[in-house]
Amino acid sequence: MTFFVHFWGTRGSIPTPGHMTKKYGGNTSCVEIRCDDSLFICDGGTGLRELGADLLTRGTRPITGHFFYSHTHWDHIQGFPFFTPAYAPQNTFHVYGTAQGDKRTYDLLSGQMRSEYFPVDFGELRSNIVASHLDGGHRVIDGCAVSYYEQQHPGRSWAYSFVKDGFKVVYATDNEIDLTLSDPKAVVADPLAPRTIPDAFRRFCHGADLLISDAQYFDDEYLTKVGWGHPRATTVVDLALQAEVKQLALFHHDPMHGDADVDRKIALCRERAARMNPALQVFGAREGLELRFG
Amino acid sequence: MSSHKTKNDWNDESTSEISVTLLPLSTEQAVSVLEMVQGPGAPRSYELYRVEMVIGRAIDADIPINSTDLSRRHVLIKRQPSGQHQIQDLDSRNGVFINGVKIHAAILHDGDSVQVGSLLFVYHEGRAIS
Repeated sequence: MTFFVHFWGTRGSIPTPGHMTKKYGGNTSCVEIRCDDSLFICDGGTGLRELGADLLTRGTRPITGHFFYSHTHWDHIQGFPFFTPAYAPQNTFHVYGTAQGDKRTYDLLSGQMRSEYFPVDFGELRSNIVASHLDGGHRVIDGCAVSYYEQQHPGRSWAYSFVKDGFKVVYATDNEIDLTLSDPKAVVADPLAPRTIPDAFRRFCHGADLLISDAQYFDDEYLTKVGWGHPRATTVVDLALQAEVKQLALFHHDPMHGDADVDRKIALCRERAARMNPALQVFGAREGLELRFG
Repeated sequence: MSSHKTKNDWNDESTSEISVTLLPLSTEQAVSVLEMVQGPGAPRSYELYRVEMVIGRAIDADIPINSTDLSRRHVLIKRQPSGQHQIQDLDSRNGVFINGVKIHAAILHDGDSVQVGSLLFVYHEGRAIS
């Protein structure tokens, strides 16, 4: 068994093309997880367009893909109308809701292709697009166990974990963990003190070989953005440490952050991790990066 | 409309001499370089002048380096149509690390450190070696 994780879009909120974001990239959220022959796609931000183009270069066999959307805010769905494989009749894509009857994501994907928003109607996509679901919490797809966890975000959002043959990858973006801490006042009193992550989320992430996590803000920025749905990057380090994660990918970079800012954010997070457990590896997710497990 | 031909008439195909200044090559046109900062013969620089270049222990690698912790064909560096360089681990025994992170593939950016076995390189984007 081999997991490949490829970052196609790592930016939060809005695409940010330009030389200031050249290193980490300006496309919004899209991560490809390949598990043996299975294709899992986490979010369909603008990075999805490039994933689609790349899939077409990999061969002529019909493509089957499984879409897991954290939620349906613009920066997570905007790439879908430009996902070229969706226009080919031999391909099949499953769009997962949480439970039977949950078609929120499927409906939003089709809704954003109404003529007021986009010139091609959803009905004109010739691939087979199926509204699927995770049976209320957990489902095995091609031998890979996929679970979800509801996060803290305006309008709701979901994290997903993918487990096969002892390897585990967690995708958890758009999650204001800071609002769920059991001791938020302690954080204000002493920012260096460990922040206690709720048990349920800690267990969800526990032992992951890779945690891809929203890490949008610096500590000082967050103070004016409470309730916007994103965490302090430093809080995510504490999550990774308490969940005994092996590698942490800082993801969903703030659109106001240039490459130098992201570098600084990574350095601060590495410093925090090193104080508590030097074994935790922290890095910044960047476009074009592909990791392999197994 | 007057049929009188003026100096600025669009149909006038005569030309005037202009002065042209040659500009330096842009960074996109200059050759990117891998600078070996740790390893046999370091410091040493390798120009990435081909579209695809393999680093490895094999004598026929594009960048052959005699180091026992390198695989015969260890890593491929491929220039993309965009001009960027992609680095890819060729299922090597000891892996490839960018800025300390073990990767399977990545787009290289100026200043990235590339560890291949016990060798350490720094990637310089579009900068010719002197």
